[in-house]
Amino acid sequence: MKKRGKGMAAAFYGTGYGNGFPDVSTAKVQMNNRGQVSVCIGATEVGQGAKTILTQIAAEVLGLEMKDIRLLCEDTDTSPDAGTAAASRQTYNSGNAVKKAAEALKNILLERAQKHLELPSAHGLAVEDRQVYLKAYPKKRVHFRELVGEEPIRVEASFVAQTTPVDEETGAGAPYWPYTFCCYGVEVEVDTETGIVEVVRGVCAQDVGRAINPELIEGQIDGGFAMGLGYGLMEDLHLVQGEIKHNRFANYLIPTALDMPELEKMIIEDPESTGPFGAKGIGEPVMIPVAPAILNAIYDAIGIRFYEIPVTPEKILAAIRKRKKEGNCGNDFER
Amino acid sequence: MVHIRLTVNGKTYGLDVEEGVRLIDVLRDQLRLTGTKEGCGEGECGACTVIMDGRTVNSCLVMAFQADGSDITTIEGIAKGGTLHPIQRAFLEVGAVQCGFCTPGMVLSAKALLDKNPEPTREEIREGISGNLCRCTGYHKIVDAIALASSYIRGGKEDGTS
Repeated sequence: MKKRGKGMAAAFYGTGYGNGFPDVSTAKVQMNNRGQVSVCIGATEVGQGAKTILTQIAAEVLGLEMKDIRLLCEDTDTSPDAGTAAASRQTYNSGNAVKKAAEALKNILLERAQKHLELPSAHGLAVEDRQVYLKAYPKKRVHFRELVGEEPIRVEASFVAQTTPVDEETGAGAPYWPYTFCCYGVEVEVDTETGIVEVVRGVCAQDVGRAINPELIEGQIDGGFAMGLGYGLMEDLHLVQGEIKHNRFANYLIPTALDMPELEKMIIEDPESTGPFGAKGIGEPVMIPVAPAILNAIYDAIGIRFYEIPVTPEKILAAIRKRKKEGNCGNDFER
Repeated sequence: MVHIRLTVNGKTYGLDVEEGVRLIDVLRDQLRLTGTKEGCGEGECGACTVIMDGRTVNSCLVMAFQADGSDITTIEGIAKGGTLHPIQRAFLEVGAVQCGFCTPGMVLSAKALLDKNPEPTREEIREGISGNLCRCTGYHKIVDAIALASSYIRGGKEDGTS
């Protein structure tokens, strides 16, 4: 018999290394006398979109198009360290470093523009189309290239994340900043004859602070959902005395396109005051509540609690058999 | 050594290959067409997918001598000169690429599907790429991209079809 159930789960996630561990990103931004801008940062692009986000941030600060920014990263010879592409920290940490460096460059341009335009103050100066102009009197303007001499303007800035170690005795402390919140709802169909669980629908609401690139966020949510679905229902390393027995795709199963239901994605924007333009990282958060939501939905469908993942068809059938044998309906399947 | 003839992306090659060499080795090492990726090397992941005589194959599971006389399309043969194939364009527009390792195989599976079935349902698209594993995207945007490419191809030339 096929039984349907619904489940939800929510998570909060601390961005960055946390627990007092030094968490630093450094960026260099440079502009030459042709107004060309390069951003240099050791942030690694692994498909999550770091290069896109960091370029967007620099372009936004300097009033340029993305194509005007040359981003150099992943080269340890030229790029300052920006930590690992891990802990959902590149948008927040490296994004902040790029923003700080780009703002420092912009401030130099504004100071030079003030002198060039013979203004008493740099207040009210802004940038657009490679020019600095006075907002109150836009005719007063000067091109970037007039402000940069033979020697390019070079600035470097670091962002250091806030974190305190947790007291081992009391558990008190502020290990992470900021936190990100996420909630999933799923509907499953459990086949009580075969033990196969099909996830038929999914909904994700993800707090992002501010969406710098909504399309990339959707891509991260889709990927996190697939990883969480595999984690909850399929992926089993089968570790025997330290040896991974399921060491190939023939026995370590991950979701295929046929395993994925449609997923409704809600991007929740609540700007984070310390984030670049309010943004926070979401790489890991989008995966965390998926398996709990699925296990809750399985409980809703067949009344059995599972405390171990993946919930494979064998485990579902064994649990149903055990319940029949014990003759108790609806009780939890204990460890 | 065996002598084989292969047509790859419209160009015919005469090649001397070792008996134990696979098609993917010929493509990557002899012809330097490194767009075809080797993932698992045992036909499970689909990263090495190429089109051989109109059908997708895992090029890690085809011995080079078995491909003798066949017509092969790799990812390098999809674009026409500087113009991207509508499938490639749709992948870029929709954001269907993350790390990119599965992408060449996905594009070729999509092409084989759309060549046979120009107007697939989302379920048929999912089935068409079910032999290609992706760890990053959750497949949604890949399915979206193939659906979009289908509309480009059916829409004709003004939508970028060559």
